[in-house]
Amino acid sequence: MTVKKVIMQPSVVFRAEKDIMIRLLHVEDDADIREIAKMALELSGEFDVLQCSSGEEALATVVGFKPDVILLDMMMPGMTGRQTLEEIRQLDGLKETPAIFMTARAQHAEIEELLSIGAVDVISKPFDPMSLADSIKSSM
Amino acid sequence: MSQLEHFKTTVGGLALGAVLAGGWHSVTTALLGSTSALPAFGAIALASVVPILLVQKSVRRSARNAERTLLQRLAVLDLHAIVNVVDQNSILTEVNDHLLKLTGFSREELIGQPVSHLYDPDDHDFTNSILGEIKQGRSWQGETPLRRADGTIFYTQTTVLPLMDEKGNWCGSISARTDVTQHKKLLAERDTALTLHELRDDVWIVDEKTLHFRYMNRTAMARFGWSENEYSEKSLVDLAVEQETGPILDACAALHRTGELIAHHEMSVLGSHFDVTIKLLRNKRSSGRFLILLNDISDRLAQEQLKADFISMVSHELRSPLTSIKGSMGLLLSGAAGDVPSKAKSLLEISHRNADRLVLIINDILDLEKITTGRMEFTMCDVDLDELVKEAIAASAVTTKNFGQRVLFDGVQGSEVIYTDPNRIIQVLTNLISNASKFSRPNGIIHVSCVEGPRGMTLTVRDEGAGIPAEDQHKVFKRFADLSNSDRSGKGGTGLGLSICKAIVESLGGSIGFESHPGSGSSFHFVLPSDKDDREKGNHAAQRRVSG
Repeated sequence: MTVKKVIMQPSVVFRAEKDIMIRLLHVEDDADIREIAKMALELSGEFDVLQCSSGEEALATVVGFKPDVILLDMMMPGMTGRQTLEEIRQLDGLKETPAIFMTARAQHAEIEELLSIGAVDVISKPFDPMSLADSIKSSM
Repeated sequence: MSQLEHFKTTVGGLALGAVLAGGWHSVTTALLGSTSALPAFGAIALASVVPILLVQKSVRRSARNAERTLLQRLAVLDLHAIVNVVDQNSILTEVNDHLLKLTGFSREELIGQPVSHLYDPDDHDFTNSILGEIKQGRSWQGETPLRRADGTIFYTQTTVLPLMDEKGNWCGSISARTDVTQHKKLLAERDTALTLHELRDDVWIVDEKTLHFRYMNRTAMARFGWSENEYSEKSLVDLAVEQETGPILDACAALHRTGELIAHHEMSVLGSHFDVTIKLLRNKRSSGRFLILLNDISDRLAQEQLKADFISMVSHELRSPLTSIKGSMGLLLSGAAGDVPSKAKSLLEISHRNADRLVLIINDILDLEKITTGRMEFTMCDVDLDELVKEAIAASAVTTKNFGQRVLFDGVQGSEVIYTDPNRIIQVLTNLISNASKFSRPNGIIHVSCVEGPRGMTLTVRDEGAGIPAEDQHKVFKRFADLSNSDRSGKGGTGLGLSICKAIVESLGGSIGFESHPGSGSSFHFVLPSDKDDREKGNHAAQRRVSG
């Protein structure tokens, strides 16, 4: 798939205040879920988070952000989470970055498939916001 | 009275008496017998007797002819028809040889028996109808199935005539029957042929050796635009070349080679998806035939795909807003947005609990739908049962700890490794433990056991709760079973869990059941087959569901 590379501003950037920060790219089309994830991760104080509302937006900003971990929604209009990850994997310095999918379709076969293309974990929706940070850290 | 008058009176009297006493056959005997009483008269008297003798001779000849004709008719009837006579108690008093030959009974086995001895025990409603008619002095005609000595049934077209005594009273009946089994069979075959011809599925009959088409029904002919003459010149090989139906040819060749008699395939041929059934028909009198049925399943597959897409859409569209609802409430309850007043917190907890319940209901409905449509995934592997049970207990810990309950498990008794789907078994076990917890008294004990038996591994979850009322026990595994002592909203149940457990266990080749005594708890158990064949059945069922 050919992706048009454009410069886009990420939807939300926020930084936690601890010394050692985990740089997390969160790609999610649902604004409410982005907001909940943001609050949940802010509470932990361990993440620098870049939030994008689409795969296209993520591809435009991911290189400059250099994330330590990528959190991807699976079902999005336009590029799916899977397509987004496949494109990110083509970019220098991002071939090995841990990727975690969030999906409302947690079928066993789909989970296996996502793991097979390089995901390190799959978080089912609805997720528990209070354990989100720990889930991400334990998967990295 | 003159001698002549005496003779006339004697002969006439004998004849009339014979008719009254014995019927037509006796008349002729009476006439012939009376000649011995003819006295010797004088010449005049003899001259006047000659015309009478001539009349007598003529009568005797007529009688012989009538008797011969009657005997011939009786002989034909006897050979052609099945005849029996019964008395007024429906007891058989006479049966002809043809009846004995066709039924296989001996005369001794039948005479003295009720006529029902000859009837099909499952189909003798007509007997009342017969009795009703003949008691009124009327004949009865209809179809009667008769039973052979070996228990098989054949069908007869029957005429029953009432028998009357000399006073005109009903005293029994005589039945003449014709075997119409073959006729009925031909009619049934004709109906079958007509049905085949009108069937919406394609029906082909192909010669096993030459592979030429011997028959095509209307649907099949219409598909290729062929007439009867045209298809009879074609073979499966021609069709494979012209219409790319090679897979059907290959399937027939495989049957021919292996000697198996039937095969089912799902194929994409002739621009559509078909369920193809091929039956090899072989008999000693003629060469073999392939009966090939093509059932177009394109519409069904399209419907199934639509349904699967719909389920997927529902899954995604419901879970996304639930993620926001549950997430928001979870953050509020955790204090992420500041302190929450205690009354508001109580209300939030109710909302959060019911959002959880909604998630469970969605999951359960989707699971049931997947099972029903054969799309539930099963991943079979060798499983350590000890680890699996402990994992299920750990997964249920949130629920059991809420009620202050302990779960006791003494380890596996028997073989610890079994071939099954671990995730699905954990799903079943956690469901049963969760139920046991919800319906047990607080701070009680839940017992889990895993014991090897003759049929396989039996996993049991036993509680010390109130038990299931006897009147509700029959609907425990039904969907949304409304049990009188359950309170789903208070206990977080969906009403689907046990029906899902049953479907999962049965899909894995096992069985599920329970024992419950009101007041002393319930014990739910399921058996996972350890027999290789049963495991394979479960595995195949699971594989079919995966591929379905």
